[in-house]
Amino acid sequence: MVNDLLTSPPGWMHAAIFFGLGACLLMIVLGFVTYAILAERKVLGFMQLRPGPNRVGGRFGLLQTVADVLKLLIKEDTIPKAADKPLFILAPVLAFAPAFMVLAAIPFSDHLKFSDLSIGLLYYIAISGITTVGILMAGWASNNKYSLLGGMRSAAQMISYEIPLVISVVGVIMFSGSLNLTEIVEGQKTVAYMFLSPLGFIVFLISSIAELNRTPFDLPEAESELVAGYHVEYSGFRWAFFMLTEYVYLFAMAALTTVLFLGGWNPVPFLGFIPGIIWFALKFSLIVFFMIWVRGTMPRLRADQLMEFAWKVLLPVALLNIFVSAVVKELFLR
Amino acid sequence: MKGLAKGLKYTLSNLTKQNVTTQYPDVPLQMPDRFRGIQKFYPEKCIVCNQCANICPTDCIQLTGNPHPDPGKKGKIIDTYDINFEICILCDLCTEVCPTEAIVMTNNFELAEYSRDELFKDLVWLDENDNNVRKENKA
Repeated sequence: MVNDLLTSPPGWMHAAIFFGLGACLLMIVLGFVTYAILAERKVLGFMQLRPGPNRVGGRFGLLQTVADVLKLLIKEDTIPKAADKPLFILAPVLAFAPAFMVLAAIPFSDHLKFSDLSIGLLYYIAISGITTVGILMAGWASNNKYSLLGGMRSAAQMISYEIPLVISVVGVIMFSGSLNLTEIVEGQKTVAYMFLSPLGFIVFLISSIAELNRTPFDLPEAESELVAGYHVEYSGFRWAFFMLTEYVYLFAMAALTTVLFLGGWNPVPFLGFIPGIIWFALKFSLIVFFMIWVRGTMPRLRADQLMEFAWKVLLPVALLNIFVSAVVKELFLR
Repeated sequence: MKGLAKGLKYTLSNLTKQNVTTQYPDVPLQMPDRFRGIQKFYPEKCIVCNQCANICPTDCIQLTGNPHPDPGKKGKIIDTYDINFEICILCDLCTEVCPTEAIVMTNNFELAEYSRDELFKDLVWLDENDNNVRKENKA
């Protein structure tokens, strides 16, 4: 059905249908964010031998995030006197909008996708770079040295880690011969690319955690060092937008990892009777769990080690991965 | 690299371990025996010997007794018995010194009140405080 929609000529009806579908996806993503935050707090709690949220919404704290968001929404909206007002208001929008835009490129199953871009992967990487501007803008517009420091750190980190992130997927592009995410998944029918380019998978995983500004790469908002990073001066709804950006990117990045390396909706051998969308959800949840798991385990990197790690370790390894992938393709995939 | 794997393994194994936290306000906390909690008082055992009031280091016990109603019998019976928990330090000395075990410790510890007046516990309250009484009262 979606394939017909994507190939039929454009029109007003078309726009309305896509608007409706987009709204549905937004609701699903918001639901994911709500329960991803809860899951993160729960899993971190279990790892630290405590129960995690267990008051609001029954034993499992099912309404904890809802209550937190409600509290954020009814908070006073403060804008510092000396802040650059237009930029201050624009920054959270500019940070969030790309996070949702990148989701358009991701195919969730054979039939469930919102676009069929021939350069889907490039689109994702290009659009997600805009968020850095939003974060830097937030740091600058707050007129606060802590914010500015956090914003600068964040921009430096996100730009540095974007390079190994992009280079590590070159292997995948070589295997599939396409930038179209659907075709990349189709290319993994027999074997997932994480087995063909394990090096690339590891580099991608590490730099995606850094891209998401999550522990152990959470220097931009290091609670114990900077006051809070780029969003010191933000409160209430605007702050909620930054939080939302972070978790929507978690969704997008986990989905992208699933598509690129874990074989998307392709089933594990002999379990083909389970529908593709469920396979996608399972692999996706595995990645999200891994992110939370790493957060529960690793301490934060030092700022000077952070850049060195990106440029002196990840980048050479990613380059090496290109050569290894070329050899693998030449020897085994002909 | 080995350290990273070790750390990940440790946090993963923690998932299945018992929590170290308790569900305290929902589930009452069981104190070990010999815990020094709020006293329980048995008026019928008391012989009004005043030893508890004398030994109390903070002078928080006040008691009065009447002569025994049966004129043929010697001794007194207790009339009022108050402990002021604003100053009681739950030191266990009153229960140690009591010759008839008329005052004993319990495992209850919840003394938070909205008013200071409510910390002044009288004979009736101390008599009714009869759950979680300490099993072994000899030191």
